[in-house]
Amino acid sequence: MPDQQTTLIAIGMMALIVYLTRLTGYFVGLQLRHIQGIRPVLEALPGCAFMAILVPATRQGSLSEIVAMACVVLIMWRSNNVILATGTGLAVLLLAGPYLDTLL
Amino acid sequence: MTTAQSALLGIRTSGDYFVSTFLFGIMFGIAAATIGFENWQALLMSGSVFTASGQFAALEFWQAPLPYGTIALSVFLVSTRNILLGMAMTFHFDGHSLPRRIVWLFLLNDPGVVNSYRVAPEVDRLGYVTGYGVSMMTSWLCSTFIGLNAAHWFANLNLGAVDFAGPLVIATMMMLFFKGSSSSPVPWLASGIAALLLYEFGAPDFIILLGSVLLGMTIAIIKERRRNA
Repeated sequence: MPDQQTTLIAIGMMALIVYLTRLTGYFVGLQLRHIQGIRPVLEALPGCAFMAILVPATRQGSLSEIVAMACVVLIMWRSNNVILATGTGLAVLLLAGPYLDTLL
Repeated sequence: MTTAQSALLGIRTSGDYFVSTFLFGIMFGIAAATIGFENWQALLMSGSVFTASGQFAALEFWQAPLPYGTIALSVFLVSTRNILLGMAMTFHFDGHSLPRRIVWLFLLNDPGVVNSYRVAPEVDRLGYVTGYGVSMMTSWLCSTFIGLNAAHWFANLNLGAVDFAGPLVIATMMMLFFKGSSSSPVPWLASGIAALLLYEFGAPDFIILLGSVLLGMTIAIIKERRRNA
């Protein structure tokens, strides 16, 4: 474990980087907002980022992870219940995972 | 609706993601205790950094001597989606002073942004997202503390199976977007296809994010131009 001083420096550095990413996006957006029709483009961005994370994660996932993802999508589609969807997905990973992953 | 009322609404409607954040916080606390963090160090990190993915990414490199550059780069790369979240909020935080926006952006968080698209137009978005962020921060700090102090109970438990919990939570947010947002889903689907193709070609994660977001953006621009033509 690193000493206290280097740990504090690293935590401060991380906090600054993450905060700057939050600020940067907003202020870049403010510079672009005068462009006509830019609003729907900016508002589509978070969904694009989520898809860029989700698709490769699912593609490289094991059978239990793919089944868990399918459960989450199905439950959210039917009920919008985040806790039920996440809980079911985790239950699939933890309880059915050891069995499902031996099938392939 | 006033900013304070909107912040309270954010807190009240954050129950679902309060629970899922709590789960990640416990896992982070356990991981931090296992590496050798003192309680105050891990709590300081959770309180000041306030991002699950970035903190987990940093823990992977947490050994003496600390590789500052590697940690900085990995935290930046997993936090790049914050840039997109901030851009998405460009038109929603009007009516507040610049200093307030600068300070409150510290609590910008994914589920708060996603759910802000679903609330009534009269709700103050900055208040709502900040209220949501206060709730997420409370959950994140409490659960980090519990994880730190309960780590010895989980010493023999394999938590590797829940590594996939992050994508599952992101999937819940994506579904809220698909069902509740007035935006067209076409750019998101295009991004998904681009991400899949880039992954198949062996592109690194950052290129996958950049390429798929650029394609999604291009499709959104084309759709907007056609709509206005």
